[in-house]
Amino acid sequence: MENISVAQVESLLKSIKDKNYQEAASIIDELVKMKNESLVNEVKELSAGLHKSLESFGNDTIILKHTKHDLPDASERLKYVIEATEEASNKTLEAAESVLGKLETLESQITDESVLATLSTIQTQMTDIMVAQSFQDLTGQVLNRIVDLVTSLEKNLNELIVKAGVDLDNVAGLEATDEQRHEDEMKGVGPNVTKSSKKDSVSSQDDVDDLLGELGL
Amino acid sequence: MQIDRNMNILVVDDFSTMRRIVKNLLKELGFSKFDEADDGANAWPMIQTGKYDFIVSDWNMPQMTGIDLLRHVRADAKLKDTPFLLITAEAKRSQILEAAEAGVDGYIVKPFTAATLNAKIQKIFERVEERKKANAG
Repeated sequence: MENISVAQVESLLKSIKDKNYQEAASIIDELVKMKNESLVNEVKELSAGLHKSLESFGNDTIILKHTKHDLPDASERLKYVIEATEEASNKTLEAAESVLGKLETLESQITDESVLATLSTIQTQMTDIMVAQSFQDLTGQVLNRIVDLVTSLEKNLNELIVKAGVDLDNVAGLEATDEQRHEDEMKGVGPNVTKSSKKDSVSSQDDVDDLLGELGL
Repeated sequence: MQIDRNMNILVVDDFSTMRRIVKNLLKELGFSKFDEADDGANAWPMIQTGKYDFIVSDWNMPQMTGIDLLRHVRADAKLKDTPFLLITAEAKRSQILEAAEAGVDGYIVKPFTAATLNAKIQKIFERVEERKKANAG
């Protein structure tokens, strides 16, 4: 900020002593104007800094890549866990229900006390197996919360990226290169549970056998 | 005390696995008539038909929570006495107190055992019976 000069103050004092109030008012106006200008400059600087941060954010390819690929991928994987555990739980429940039904039929046909006692133990244990499947609900609730969090994080990052003036669709180099993909695959990528990871994957042991068969194995 | 095993029960949970488990346990306890709903919002119009003698509900569901469903039931002159059991993973003291305040008859925290469910149902219907006697006397 431009500093108030002694001359300005002296002429202000002089104009007041001289009762030249018009002159005094114009000097005060000038001082206020100087103060305002400095404020505007500070805001300009702040905004430039902010803009710069946004720009460097928009140039941060790791954040862009996480936002475009990894966060949606993470949600998809978590949803897969919920579905896979649900499927497994339902299979277990189906089997447990069927066994319990058969035990009931057996119970009505058996009179031997010791066999009946064993049946009753099996019944209790089958019920335990069934009730233990509630893990699917409990873990599913936890995962659902994380899916919500990841989705909201993704949305907020996307908004910030738009503000930084970046069009995610047009940024080159966000897709994994063949080399990177190969490197990941050699480390092992786990089950292919997302739409994009299912590309170029086999879907059954038959596919594996066919593929190896073509190679004479 | 004899519980009417022919009563109509509504099981409300957004997880189909849990609905299945609860239904199987109720079956083992001798009950046979169940309907299911996957959310409080879908359960409420079913309950309003007046069909159900007992409601077993989860708390955390996407559209209408179990506690809201309970409040709807308790606020309805015709339905307000329907026994209502919450089976939920919500285990904060404040939540349990809130449920009690809203008029829940029983509160089971997941994971639970068949024995717990049996004990709570016994207790709920004993109390229902006492209430009936008190009202009659």
